[in-house]
Amino acid sequence: MTTYDERASHGAPPAPAEPGGAAGPAAALTATAERVRRSVESVIEGKPEVVRLALTVLLAEGHLLIEDVPGVGKTMLAKALARSVDCSVRRIQFTPDLLPSDITGVSVYDQQRRDFEFKPGAIFAQIVIGDEINRASPKTQSALLESMEERQVTIDGHTYELPSPFMVVATQNPVEMEGTYPLPEAQRDRFMARVSIGYPGPEAELRMLASHGALSPLDDLQPVAHAHEIGKLIEAVRAVHVAEPVLRYAVDVVGATRQHPELRLGASPRATLHLLRAAKAAAALAGREFALPDDVRALAVPVLAHRLLPTAQAQLGRRTAEQIVVDILRRTPLPDPFGRQPPGARGL
Amino acid sequence: MSGRSRLAVCGVLATLGTACAMLPLVERTVWILQAALLLCVQTAVGVAARRVPLARWLTVAAQALVVLLLLTLVFARERAVGGILPGPDAFEEFGRLLRQGVDDVGRYAIPAPATTSIRLLLIGGVLLVGLVVDALAVTFRGAAPAGLPLLALYSVGAGLSKGSAGRLWFLIAAAGYLLLLLAEGRDRLARWGRVFGGGAAGAPAGVAAGLAAGGGPALAPVRTGRRIGALALGLALALPVALPSIGGGLLAARGAGEGPGSDGGTISAVNPLVSLQNSLNQPENRELLRYRTSAPSVQDLYLRIVALDRFDGASWRASERRITDVPDPLPTPAGLTTGVRTARIGVSVAASDGYGQNYLPLPYPAERVRVPGQWRYEPEGRALVGDHGQTTRGVRYQVAGLLVEPTAAQLAAAPAPPEQLLREYTRVPPAMPKVVAETARKVTAGAADSYQQAVKLQDWFAASGGFRYDTEVRSGSGPDAIARFLEEKQGFCVHFSFAMAAMARTLGIPARVAVGFTPGTPQPDGTVSVGTKDAHAWPELYFEGAGWTRFEPTPSRGTPPEYTVAQAPSAPDPGVPAPEPGRSRAPQPAPSADGGCPPELKKVDGCGGVVRLEAGGSSGGTSPLTLAVVIVAALAALLLPALPHLWRRRACARRLDGRAGPRPLAAWRELTDSAWDYGIPPDDSLTPRMAAARIVRDARLAGPHAEAVGRLATAVEQTLYAPSPPPAGATASADVEAARAGLRASAGRRARVRAVVAPRSAVRVVWACAGFWAGVRSAARARLRRLIPRSRPFP
Repeated sequence: MTTYDERASHGAPPAPAEPGGAAGPAAALTATAERVRRSVESVIEGKPEVVRLALTVLLAEGHLLIEDVPGVGKTMLAKALARSVDCSVRRIQFTPDLLPSDITGVSVYDQQRRDFEFKPGAIFAQIVIGDEINRASPKTQSALLESMEERQVTIDGHTYELPSPFMVVATQNPVEMEGTYPLPEAQRDRFMARVSIGYPGPEAELRMLASHGALSPLDDLQPVAHAHEIGKLIEAVRAVHVAEPVLRYAVDVVGATRQHPELRLGASPRATLHLLRAAKAAAALAGREFALPDDVRALAVPVLAHRLLPTAQAQLGRRTAEQIVVDILRRTPLPDPFGRQPPGARGL
Repeated sequence: MSGRSRLAVCGVLATLGTACAMLPLVERTVWILQAALLLCVQTAVGVAARRVPLARWLTVAAQALVVLLLLTLVFARERAVGGILPGPDAFEEFGRLLRQGVDDVGRYAIPAPATTSIRLLLIGGVLLVGLVVDALAVTFRGAAPAGLPLLALYSVGAGLSKGSAGRLWFLIAAAGYLLLLLAEGRDRLARWGRVFGGGAAGAPAGVAAGLAAGGGPALAPVRTGRRIGALALGLALALPVALPSIGGGLLAARGAGEGPGSDGGTISAVNPLVSLQNSLNQPENRELLRYRTSAPSVQDLYLRIVALDRFDGASWRASERRITDVPDPLPTPAGLTTGVRTARIGVSVAASDGYGQNYLPLPYPAERVRVPGQWRYEPEGRALVGDHGQTTRGVRYQVAGLLVEPTAAQLAAAPAPPEQLLREYTRVPPAMPKVVAETARKVTAGAADSYQQAVKLQDWFAASGGFRYDTEVRSGSGPDAIARFLEEKQGFCVHFSFAMAAMARTLGIPARVAVGFTPGTPQPDGTVSVGTKDAHAWPELYFEGAGWTRFEPTPSRGTPPEYTVAQAPSAPDPGVPAPEPGRSRAPQPAPSADGGCPPELKKVDGCGGVVRLEAGGSSGGTSPLTLAVVIVAALAALLLPALPHLWRRRACARRLDGRAGPRPLAAWRELTDSAWDYGIPPDDSLTPRMAAARIVRDARLAGPHAEAVGRLATAVEQTLYAPSPPPAGATASADVEAARAGLRASAGRRARVRAVVAPRSAVRVVWACAGFWAGVRSAARARLRRLIPRSRPFP
């Protein structure tokens, strides 16, 4: 087990936001998000949509599961995101011998005080990087359940609040399955989104060789946003307006996963909540004060696919959960723009 | 047998079956055996070539080569190299035979003798069609198109033969084609592998499934195919009997004659008896011709089609006559001298598209005819005959002719006709019943000359003889037909004209029967309409000086000529009771303007022609209501195509001025509809911004046009999903205009025209109407349900 504090000894403070500027608070928040995004993108070349999704999950107060083959930059993405924000960061290398107490913490008897003293585990940070999460035993994986969902840890009857913002960025390798423990459904459901980074394009790979050949890009990475700025961003996301047709559309999409003949397990109500929060975050990132059906559509695959269990027939037919979600999106009717006209207005 | 071999065999059978339609064209039918043998060889070559396998076009080429060798062997052996290889001499021989064949076709009537040249035409044609069928159906695997060459072959046979056994040939040909289609379907089915045949009763599964192998009983799909084929054949044979048609009669393309020849050919007409009766008995009077004339009165403007001059004792037929090119002007009519008064008239005739007749209806005597198409002239009957299938269908032509107006005195004083003419046109067969000549003598007793005899005959038929006009009477044939008519005294124009011409001949007056039309019904616009009910036959008697002169013995049809009326007896024969007017089928006559209706004809409604003239004139006035209806209908017809455009303009105006709902939404609807008009259909599965991106992409919009589309989409999103709607502004209309300008600029000319003239989005009107109607229906149903409470069972 390896845990270490990655809190950067920040030299220069991040560029301040522009509160009350001419463009207003919304523009200032957008600018902050944009700085974080650029900072992460300077490390992860040619994958703007992945970076954007990671940021969306951060602002939506969710947790991110990065699933891909080794060497494509899973850990790099997690670390870049963590370093770009000036907050406490901890990295947990999940191994088979990792114990739950290593994550949550442990109460040690202090002989001088004749009392138990709580030693916080690695989870007590604002951004927690869980590397190779599927290598830990299910027991250890389960230690994350409470902390991820309720943002608290309960040990020996005492509940300890986790800092805010709090985000778990876990990585796992879908190819190397030997000696791993697939994440249980409950655990998967707690991740707001799953993302695959994928191989970079030839141009991006060339740029990566040129810029990262000598030293790690993380070394030069400086935080570009304070934790409290991220907190403001999260507040702004919470304030994003979601119209009733968009809510209904999100519910329809998630509901369709529960009736789809190729799915053994549909998405939970928590998934609906996550989808909506992610849609709000995406709207805020786009500088909008309201969410659109487009946001729901764009996030449906990363938010829903990892929670779904295809039937045996669908698996035999090589149908992936992603394909099924795309299929559901195609079949679910969008809100009709002309269906909510005021009385008296005529369609023609 | 493999699928392809079966197809090839079916191709041969289909070709031979279709070739059977040509059997009636030639006297001896041995040629079909020769054709069958050569066709089999040709097909065998194709089967072998496909088995090698050769390339497709090589297969066809090999078959064509073998066909050439076979034809050389059969038709040009003496001129071939080594008796089989076609050299230049052989090709020369083929050319000679083909030219001669074309000549023979023109020379001989059907059935023609099977001369070598005609056989070459027949066998070569069948082999050629067989080759095309084989290539299409087997080599290129398309049995359905192979029907076209088969149809061509069948059309030749069916078009030229008299059609006596047309149904049989049709049955054989159609069965052959269906066989081919079935074989192809079976072959195609077999390519899928084993076919489960359902209940192949008693057959072992292996046999039943052996469709590809071709053995075993017929499988369900094949059986179904056969049943469908048999049903289609049955319907094709039975339906024409039940359907009303004017085809096949005198008025059809081959009604009055067949086989128009080429240079120096001959022409003969079929018996028009049955066909004329068919025309008269048509349920409705269909217009066949419409003409305009310079003649002051159309009363005597009979239009002749053909003259029947050969009398065999039972009926009249047209002799075989030589035909020539149409001279200009036509020769002077036989027997017409300058002493007789004539008036020059001009007639412009337009034949309807449904009237296909290969004789040109002409007034008699015509002097000049200006007619497009291939027409030839038969001098004896002064008729124009269509050549190479030329018919009157849709033909417009002008005729300059004469109205011959001899006086009774001139006819009475006519000298004896030329000897040859007298001999030819007074010939009666010895088998003719004696009663005809006896009646003629009895009726004309006391007449001083031929003219008096003719007038007495006409009057006897038309008035005093007690004859009744009836088109339902069986036409009758055989030697006793005329005698029976004289006894029963019921018939229609054919009977009257035949009988009068025959009786005139027994009296030594040269006579023949003309077939054509009565003058027709004048229309308000000055034209005269001639319909199926105007079909008519009348006798023509020859008087030296006046030539062939028309008489009208048929009561209630046509008008008797002036020269017979003037000399008619002033009072009817007191011994003849006046028939009741109601007995006739013709309308009650009204007094004519020129008073040309003699009393004895009035008794039997003999002034039908005059009546029709008057009726036509009086019906010229149009009531104001009719006029209004016509004008409204015409306006509606003009307005109808403009409706989509008009609706589009209205909808656009309503949407842009905010009357059609919130402005961004209405503007968005207008934008999507405009894009639809330019070929980008709306897609409900797209969000506004996706739809906007699609419009920009598909219409290749750029710059301000694309920005306008984007702004509209954003406005829609704000309206629909933002907590507060966007500030109302007039930019939406401007954006729509900008986007439409971009769409217009990027569209092609055709798309632009269509967007204006026939906008696609106008279909929304139909949808709206359908929605409205569905709403009305459901509301009515709900109300009805409330009115009629459901009956409840007793507790």
